Amino acid sequence: MQKEQLHRLNCYVENKPGVLARIVGLISGRGYNIQTLNVGPTEDGTVSRMKIDILGTGKVVEQIILQLRNQVNVIEVTSRRK
Amino acid sequence: MNLKETRTGAQALVDSLAKAGVEVLFGYPGGQALDIFNCLPDAKFRFVLGRHEQGCVHMADGYARATGKPGVCLVTSGPGATNTVTGLATANIDSVPLIVITGQVPMALIGTDAFQEADTTGVTRAVSKHNFLVQSADEIPEIVAQAFYIATHGKPGPVVIDIPKNCQQALTAAQYPERVSLRAYHPESSATTAQINRLAKMINAAERPVIYAGGGVVTSGAAKDVASLAHKAQIPVATTLMGLGGFDEHDPLSLRMAGMHGTPAANWAMNEADLIVALGVRFSDRVTGKISQYAPEARIAHVDCDPASIGKNVPVELGIVADVKDVLTTVGSRVKAAKHEKWLAKIDGWKKSHPVTWQAIHPNVIMPQAVMEAVDKATEGRAVVVTDVGQHQMWAAQHFRYSIPRHFLTSGGMGTMGFGIPAAIGAAFGRPDHKTVAICGDGGAQMTFEELVVAVEHKLPVTFVVINNGCLGMVRQWQELFYGKNYSGSILTVKGRPKNEHLDQDLDYDYLPDFVKMAEAHGAEAYRVIDPAKLDSTIRKAVRSNKTTLVEVIVEPRANVYPMIPAGRPVSAMVFK
Repeated sequence: MQKEQLHRLNCYVENKPGVLARIVGLISGRGYNIQTLNVGPTEDGTVSRMKIDILGTGKVVEQIILQLRNQVNVIEVTSRRK
Repeated sequence: MNLKETRTGAQALVDSLAKAGVEVLFGYPGGQALDIFNCLPDAKFRFVLGRHEQGCVHMADGYARATGKPGVCLVTSGPGATNTVTGLATANIDSVPLIVITGQVPMALIGTDAFQEADTTGVTRAVSKHNFLVQSADEIPEIVAQAFYIATHGKPGPVVIDIPKNCQQALTAAQYPERVSLRAYHPESSATTAQINRLAKMINAAERPVIYAGGGVVTSGAAKDVASLAHKAQIPVATTLMGLGGFDEHDPLSLRMAGMHGTPAANWAMNEADLIVALGVRFSDRVTGKISQYAPEARIAHVDCDPASIGKNVPVELGIVADVKDVLTTVGSRVKAAKHEKWLAKIDGWKKSHPVTWQAIHPNVIMPQAVMEAVDKATEGRAVVVTDVGQHQMWAAQHFRYSIPRHFLTSGGMGTMGFGIPAAIGAAFGRPDHKTVAICGDGGAQMTFEELVVAVEHKLPVTFVVINNGCLGMVRQWQELFYGKNYSGSILTVKGRPKNEHLDQDLDYDYLPDFVKMAEAHGAEAYRVIDPAKLDSTIRKAVRSNKTTLVEVIVEPRANVYPMIPAGRPVSAMVFK
């Protein structure tokens, strides 16, 4: 079994209603708890940046990232271990 | 604004749907969708009135699965919208392109607990590929175009458009865009030359290869390409439930279906293979069984349009995110002709020693498997077969021989009972050139029976076959095998129910309801068969009728689906009876 670790996801998303709910739902619907969530504007007013910290194994976080990238309003997702 | 070109949002919606190529719209009206319904009589496409919103979505789904074109459905707000949830989830997990349009209360009333208000985008978020809440009439044409793009590109799926009533009524000059551009969604991906070369190398090096073909083969229209690869390199082909029809089951290379109720040959071949070429599959738990013991000797190459499906359940050596057809057309020339004589001889041995077969339990009682064979024979293997969910679904998968893509339509991932009747109606609208046969159980048929009138109204020559064993057969089978024969909640006849259900044992009827009377009340031609000797002739009469027909077949209630690999167990745990 892989060890659970804290991961920081950086998501650049379209600044539209419902996007935050979609992303949070995707994570919480799989039973993962978000430790920290920070949403703010970028220099481009039509793009928001979300910083999401979640606890999970590398495999689980990788699957979450792939599912996030499949979302219609998600522009880019990167991650690093904290 | 050029006043000549303005129209209401509702009219803009209907015009946009026509521009998007919609031929049939399935739906059910209600207060917050009335402005749209007001425009429908002049629409360029046909409108089909369902009898329940769940039925409407399954009809659109059946239409989409049968034709490959997106199915479209229109319902009202609140309960209309929430009734679409099961249909959306069904389409979502099986990657079926749908557009579901829901009316919504006027924007000024959103959040006030208005009459028939529901947070539709909130409710449908987890069961759709994407959803939109329209904020102005001007957005409607663009959102419709985007919705069709999203539903049909990448991994297909259902898209919901929620339209508040004030947006339907407001005037707009917005036109349907000629091109769709989505800022963040670019699902097209193709294989690199290095990946293609690696795939070819893996295939050329294999001694015991198996192609494992799923719904993605059907969706991408790659059936012919799978066949040419299989023939050139003499690779046997197993399909998933969703992949049935993606490879001709009469072909000597066909292993038929793999998985829990798949053929021994398909499961043993995967188990002993040194290479699995997985095409448009997602390694469902119903196929892999115990994941740590799945295909222990195989290198795995996986081609799928969804990056999240690769390596999700099973680690793979080579993952290619691309359209299956594109990959097969490029890899074909790099694959060397091969014979694999020893491997194929071994597989042929399995096919001969362990065919999927059945035996009568009582000479005077029809076996459900015989019904499948009778329908296959009467339709000469050409029918579009639509199933409900349960034992009959597995028997339909096992005892028809599928050869044509989009001719086996089933709720594979969600396992939605009640899917069969409406989906068959939708399929019949999409494929009037083919006979459509729905295979249902007595449980699922009761869930959406009301839709039968739609087939009658539109004079669809669909044949609905109700396999009546007086119980929820698959539940009963699991209770027999894994729950000590405690048939709790699974018996639909009066006899044999657990005591706490307090049924009147003196009731005259045993089987309820009377499906023949039900069908006749809905305007269909109906037959009941009890005698095995009359099965073939009755089925033949029903499928050859040009009316909507229903055949209720009273079958052996003790029949179980075999072979079976119990859930979460390895191939070695397969049981045959």
